Amino acid sequence: MGNHPPESFQTDGSDKQKPSKPLENEKIRRLKARSNRTFYVMALFIALSIGAMRDFDFLPSFPPRLHELLGEPPSAGMISATLLLYSFSAIILILSRMMSGSGKYGGFTQVGYLAGFYLFFHFSGTMEEYFWAVFTAGMTILGLEIYQVWTWCREEIKIQEEILAALERNRHKDDKPGD
Amino acid sequence: MFRTLPARAIVPVAVAVTGFVIVCCILLYSVMKTDLINDTIIHETNLTDTVIKSARYAMLKSDRETLRNIIANVGDLQGVEHLRIFNKEGRIMFSVDPREVSRIIDKKGAGCIGCHAGPVPASSLGPMDRVRRFTNERGTEVLAIAAPIYNEAACYNAGCHFHTAGQKVLGTLDIGLSATPLQKTLALMRGRMIIFSVMVLILTVGGVAALLRRQIFIPLREITEFTSDINNGNLNRELTVSSGELSDLADGIRAVALQLRNAVEETEKLKKDLEQTKEQK
Repeated sequence: MGNHPPESFQTDGSDKQKPSKPLENEKIRRLKARSNRTFYVMALFIALSIGAMRDFDFLPSFPPRLHELLGEPPSAGMISATLLLYSFSAIILILSRMMSGSGKYGGFTQVGYLAGFYLFFHFSGTMEEYFWAVFTAGMTILGLEIYQVWTWCREEIKIQEEILAALERNRHKDDKPGD
Repeated sequence: MFRTLPARAIVPVAVAVTGFVIVCCILLYSVMKTDLINDTIIHETNLTDTVIKSARYAMLKSDRETLRNIIANVGDLQGVEHLRIFNKEGRIMFSVDPREVSRIIDKKGAGCIGCHAGPVPASSLGPMDRVRRFTNERGTEVLAIAAPIYNEAACYNAGCHFHTAGQKVLGTLDIGLSATPLQKTLALMRGRMIIFSVMVLILTVGGVAALLRRQIFIPLREITEFTSDINNGNLNRELTVSSGELSDLADGIRAVALQLRNAVEETEKLKKDLEQTKEQK
């Protein structure tokens, strides 16, 4: 993101550029929409967690043939170790993005991974034991993601608003005769 | 709330550390709980084998009176909720509770279904597969094991010729121990882990917050207030910051404020001189 004027300027053949207000604010609108989208991801995770809390009893159970085809699920210990590793690396990744000021966001990917953990614990029959571990990991990771994207969007919106304010000031100067 | 520097510096760290510590504690507790339960099951399995071995001679001699005494004595032990022997047909032959004798067990019930799920009953199961957990009519949580009593050469060669050689399992010993001591241990362990986690969180987050506050936030606030006063025209305010690089920043700002004060004083002096000159004219 550089401090360059938005591309929404229209020229009328003269040297003066007339800013098009709806296009200039489009970037800010997109940033706000991006910031709000993160809450949908959190809502999706909470809905998934409600299903997991019931051990997905509303889903049809797999036929025994499919169970045999899939084989034995990994042990709860192995899944827990993977969850620990995943939580640690996800938190480190998000904190490094905060540090570098990056606007990258992996919300739906994280929900996908967490859904995978829920499913593995469901198939291993240990959902009751490990539900809160996955839920806490998910809330921590998604909470940090939301905070990271939210602060990044706020900073970018502030930059855009300052650009718009500077352009407005220049426009007023150009409009005043004799300057 | 998230606009202030302290909030933006401390909240992500607090959330990350708190979340990770809680996840670690939950996983560690689950692993330790599984280990404790497995140890309890192994202990109960050993107890079951001890009872079967103790009753072996009495069963061989078909000495029902001695067998009844063994069952009653073991059943009197603290923590034993139920103890019974049932035959191949599932009929309870001996029990601590005399009211249960001659009752037939449901083969599809928990603890029995492991072997009796298919058309042909399984002849052996691992110790973990023989376990069932339930709450009995007294409201006590019970960890029960059903151990098969296998046929041996001494049994089918005995003078009574009661059991044939083809019979693999003669009956089952079913023992249930109270899970209350286990629950108490788990609750104690849980409480200790919670206290430890809270202490770690307070030290980590609190320590980081306290150090940041002392070294960064308070000096920054003083600098901000100083620049705000300068902006409002109060050029005589003093600034004292002695915190690493922030003291260099404070020195710079103080120098700028001093230059500004000198410039204002000079301007005032020039104005006065000009007015005096005008009056003289």
